[in-house]
Amino acid sequence: MMNGISASINSRQHVIVGNCIAAVSAAETLRKLNPQDSIVIIGEEDVPSYSRCLITYFLGDMITRKHLLSHDTKWYDERNVDLMLSTRAEGLDVKNRQVFARQNGRKKKIPYDTLLVATGSTPIYLPSFPYDPDGIIGMRNYADSVKLKSWAKKGKKAIIIGAGFVGLKSAYGLVKQGVKVKVVELLPTVLGRMTDMEASARVRARLTRHELLDIELNNSVIATRKHDDGYMVTYQDGTEETCDFIVASVGVRACTDFLKDSGVDIDRIVMVDDRQQTSVDGIYAAGDVCRSRHIVSGEWIYNAIWPVAAAGARVAAANMSGDSLSYAGNIPMNSVDFYELWITAIGNVQEEGPDVEEITFNTPAIYQKVKLRNGVPFAFMAIGNVDGAGVIRGAIVGKTPWEEFVRRPHAKILPVVNQYITDPAATADA
Amino acid sequence: MKAFRFISENCDLCRKCEEACALVCGSSKKKSGTYVPHIRVMQSPEGPYVRLCKHCEDAPCVDACIGESLQRGPNGLVIQDEDRCIGCFMCNMVCPHGAMKTIMSQEKAFKCTLMCGKEETPTCVFACDRGALFFDDLRTQNNQKRRAKL
Repeated sequence: MMNGISASINSRQHVIVGNCIAAVSAAETLRKLNPQDSIVIIGEEDVPSYSRCLITYFLGDMITRKHLLSHDTKWYDERNVDLMLSTRAEGLDVKNRQVFARQNGRKKKIPYDTLLVATGSTPIYLPSFPYDPDGIIGMRNYADSVKLKSWAKKGKKAIIIGAGFVGLKSAYGLVKQGVKVKVVELLPTVLGRMTDMEASARVRARLTRHELLDIELNNSVIATRKHDDGYMVTYQDGTEETCDFIVASVGVRACTDFLKDSGVDIDRIVMVDDRQQTSVDGIYAAGDVCRSRHIVSGEWIYNAIWPVAAAGARVAAANMSGDSLSYAGNIPMNSVDFYELWITAIGNVQEEGPDVEEITFNTPAIYQKVKLRNGVPFAFMAIGNVDGAGVIRGAIVGKTPWEEFVRRPHAKILPVVNQYITDPAATADA
Repeated sequence: MKAFRFISENCDLCRKCEEACALVCGSSKKKSGTYVPHIRVMQSPEGPYVRLCKHCEDAPCVDACIGESLQRGPNGLVIQDEDRCIGCFMCNMVCPHGAMKTIMSQEKAFKCTLMCGKEETPTCVFACDRGALFFDDLRTQNNQKRRAKL
């Protein structure tokens, strides 16, 4: 085993557990900064890295398998990265700096000088809908999408629990496969806290325009049981419904299992500092497995989105190479389209309070809403026309006062700004 | 590294840059089937402004692209593999310059990849005879900004 001193002279071994965007983003940076060091990626799945955000598009046959599986083994060879597929990390020995793993049933010990935990997250199952490989799964990886696709070919009816981004995208994909889908959501709105009632109603109306798709809000599943070839689902209100299979999409939890009792500080998610380092020296984390800062408030939040994983991993990789960089974080945000209805949401648009005011632009085709606190925008949501949403994101992140923002040329791209500046009452005292 | 520079005072909205971009650039013509240029000159009470990819050094769109369609090219420019775009518009959500061209009918986003000028003089800059659009070294630009401040 190398010690810290020899490691700085000789080449080191960087081990990355996980193989999604945080892992490849880190590997890319590590290779750039350390041409001599060895890099190992431990991936649980049997395919090289791909975008997990695209699996619902693959499910609906909107993209091909080749499109989905973007990184081939050549990508790893070109960067001289040692890729271990079908390998599950099972434990961690912090003292002797090694990862215990299992590859196709065989136990392995992988030594490291620096370690990046990029294991991501996994769907939450509840006692009322436990994981069942034959009919109740979440939508998280390639294998899940292949499985759902095969079920979609046989089954006629699916129930999706949860109408968040993953739930609705899965529903969209399954409907494209000709499956009748019912989505059940506990909250009064779809897409969680990123939409308000009006936006939620518009999204729901657009989706349920399709005869195969139904979305029920304010309801939840309290029990599931096997019934004939499929399942019987019992709702909160006592009604029952049969289906062929169930997709659980009520949320995700960080995959921290292999860090159990290792000494790495975990509070459901991995606690990292601004440098993406965990409580143990030399061990870093990035992506859906760890916390990150809210770039505006500076608070630690769980922001499991792609851009955070990509940027956070780069910071982690630089620090693993001896640098000292900080990651400022990001803001919760997402963007998606259903049947050519685009939805972009930045920040928590459902936030209320005595000091919160809102500006709305509402036409049959376009709905936009900005929320301000003390005259500074903190959340934005657009439906129908999302053009230029990044301009207002810049103002939210930069804490630009609204009065100043609307005078910027690029702000005029947004209908919600344009109406504001042409409103005589608003410009009267300008 | 080179970057675009727009001088609002010199622009009289002749739109020659837009025309040239739409006519020459293979990417905006062939794949989208429309002639929407990558550069768009907009009017505002404060004068004209352009919507055009600045090829940012710390490009947020590259990080945000879930389809890995937007990539950092070998020459430092932000390039796009249009076939990989799945039209989620995450890039549009993070671009502070409003540069992404979101074409709803195509369910794709497009941007300037500097295919036209082969990185020397982009077509739009070549077409501008008003002295409003330049493509020059970032260092020169920063120097000019500093001089303007002094």
